[in-house]
Amino acid sequence: MPEAVPQAQPSSPPPAPVKKGPRGEVTIYATWCKGCRICVEFCPPKVLAMDPGEDHPRVVLPEKCTACHFCDTHCPDLAIVVRKLA
Amino acid sequence: MSDQQHILDAAALHAEEALIPQSDWFERNETLQKLRKNKKFPTIWCSGCGIGVVMGALIRAIDHLGLKNDDVALVAGIGCTARMPVYMDFNTLHTTHGRALAFATGLKIARPDMKVIAIMGDGDALAIGGNHFIHAARRNLGITALVVNNAIYGMTGGQYSPTTPLGGRATTAPYGNIEPPFPICELAITAGATYVARSTVYHALELDKFLAEAIAKDGFSVVEAVSYCHTTYGRLNKLGTAADMMRALKDDSISKTAYDALTPEQKAANTKIVRGKFVDIDRPQYTASYANLVTRVQTGDK
Amino acid sequence: MTIKLMQGNEAIGWGAIAAGCRFYAGYPITPSTEVAEILSRELPKVGGKFIQMEDEIASMAAIIGASVGGLKSMTATSGPGFSLMQENIGYAAMTEIPCVVVDVQRLGPSTGQPTAASQGDVMQARWGTHGDHPIIALSPVSVRQSFDLTVRAFDFSEKYRTPVILLTDEIVGHMREPVELPDFETIRLPEYRLTQPGQEYIAFRNEPGDVPQMASFGIGYRYHITGLFHDQVGFPTQRLDEIDPWLERVNTKLEKHLDDIRLLEEDDQPGAKVAILSYGASARTGRHALKLARAAGKKVDMLTLLTVWPFPEAQVEALGDKVERIIVPEMNLGQLAYEVERVVGRRKVRRVTRANGEMVTPQMVLDALEG
Repeated sequence: MPEAVPQAQPSSPPPAPVKKGPRGEVTIYATWCKGCRICVEFCPPKVLAMDPGEDHPRVVLPEKCTACHFCDTHCPDLAIVVRKLA
Repeated sequence: MSDQQHILDAAALHAEEALIPQSDWFERNETLQKLRKNKKFPTIWCSGCGIGVVMGALIRAIDHLGLKNDDVALVAGIGCTARMPVYMDFNTLHTTHGRALAFATGLKIARPDMKVIAIMGDGDALAIGGNHFIHAARRNLGITALVVNNAIYGMTGGQYSPTTPLGGRATTAPYGNIEPPFPICELAITAGATYVARSTVYHALELDKFLAEAIAKDGFSVVEAVSYCHTTYGRLNKLGTAADMMRALKDDSISKTAYDALTPEQKAANTKIVRGKFVDIDRPQYTASYANLVTRVQTGDK
Repeated sequence: MTIKLMQGNEAIGWGAIAAGCRFYAGYPITPSTEVAEILSRELPKVGGKFIQMEDEIASMAAIIGASVGGLKSMTATSGPGFSLMQENIGYAAMTEIPCVVVDVQRLGPSTGQPTAASQGDVMQARWGTHGDHPIIALSPVSVRQSFDLTVRAFDFSEKYRTPVILLTDEIVGHMREPVELPDFETIRLPEYRLTQPGQEYIAFRNEPGDVPQMASFGIGYRYHITGLFHDQVGFPTQRLDEIDPWLERVNTKLEKHLDDIRLLEEDDQPGAKVAILSYGASARTGRHALKLARAAGKKVDMLTLLTVWPFPEAQVEALGDKVERIIVPEMNLGQLAYEVERVVGRRKVRRVTRANGEMVTPQMVLDALEG
């Protein structure tokens, strides 16, 4: 069996894996929020969380926001705003 | 940013108790420029109430159309839905129960150049206001009727309305409602409305689109926004939380396209809410017809 | 204008046009229908707008909406329709939106006798809508006065930001008299509303002055009008420190301007110990009886109320101080007499009533004058 031809070594480091950053920035206006949980329950990547007893949600996975705008178009109190990031 | 940094705290937000400050809140969201800066927020509605979602859709639609605030008038009846106009920075008229369209008729005739939007609940528009609804449609007045259908009389505590589903419980239907509900859109079409559409608060962006089209329309346009009340109807019929009921609006509705593709038997058996645009036609609009009449009279050509 | 034989209702229509009315919404009802018919014909000629609404409730709502939109507006009806309008009359009274409501009174209650006359809506004009509220009601005695008081009604409604009721009746409404109307160019009511944007505007301010200046919708002031109790800005409130001053201002604004609002005609005879007090069609009866009584040598005073509401307490009290008896003929069972009795005492008042569609006769008044 012939020997495997050794592969040439790359001369530059391999490209770094692409880091998918957040596509949207979420802001919650706590004093307008009435804690209905619609944003928490419907956010597809589960960016938001709200424990029982809390009166407004928290952004727990900000990097996962895709700026789908479900939360800010479905918030009954206009208490959450998503700003699309460049 | 830590999650805490996303939450603006009350003290930073408000100069005075609960008044909207000139903060970055408005700068960041063009649409919210349409809210009244001197009005106390949060809104009066229950936590999770779809009326707030409809209000968001309405201001996005008005913003999208590029209308000047001075050119828009909101005329409301009485009820939870009718509490909407006070929050928005337009010419707002909060009238008597069922009579929004009649007040709106006078206002539109006096100012045909303004965009007049009547904001009503299902009881306001179809029960006490039913007569005015059908005549406004018949006349094809250039008014947009936004009817939020929450299937109940919410403000007064949960009595049944002309759109409460058959069998549904309400405080005045403790054994279940025995009256078949009005199909709002079909009624509007038959009465002569030239733009009729229905959607739900789950489908908020579709509501934006229908509202923008309805407001731009020169004719009597009806948008029914379905948002069953979770506080009264939902609780009496054990339908869960606001989020649960919003999920149900998604699951229990069907697009008009899909509905049209059903067989007659399937259509007859359908219990899902049909969402879509049902009518978009052109007929002479009332104030334009009257203007023609005035011209005829004044030029002696009777 | 030349002298024309004109119907009372027609004169009301012309009065509206002369006053600048440019919107009418109404529902036909005998004996008011001529007002609608005339305005449906004349309003388009002057660039005004007419619509026949589906009922009286809608008619009242539409004229309020049109007034908010900047047009002087009017409706006309009779008893049953007037009853339907009450809720929205209260709305206009408390939201302080100017408008004119013509009530050509007919015999009731209920369907009654549509083609017969009465003065049965006097109390309804004051208290028909629920709750405490101010109102102005004017009653013409003649065809010419139907024109004049309609013009005054529009002026009062704009000046005091209130609905004004033209409380006429089937007799004065349907009769024909020769009248010479003034040239409409000579009738130019002042403009009380804001017409230019740009000022800081508090829609329902309580200070200074009793009547905040009105801004029609769409001219540059965006504000909220509601039937709920509201603050000076117009937003609903439940705070007593906002409600109390507002209620005080609205409920006393007319009282504070009685000299302007209280229209009446006094015909005194020195030494008279008896007086006739009347209004509308019954004042015609009163005047006829007055003529006959004086011709027979009797000294009699007469007070004709052109403004029925607010009731002219001071004048009636002064009359009660002067005479021993006040005869009140009216085509109802004594609705205005209640007010006279309240002010001068029951013993001084003699009611002469008729509520069956027939006019009180001069003889009935003469009999009352005799005691």
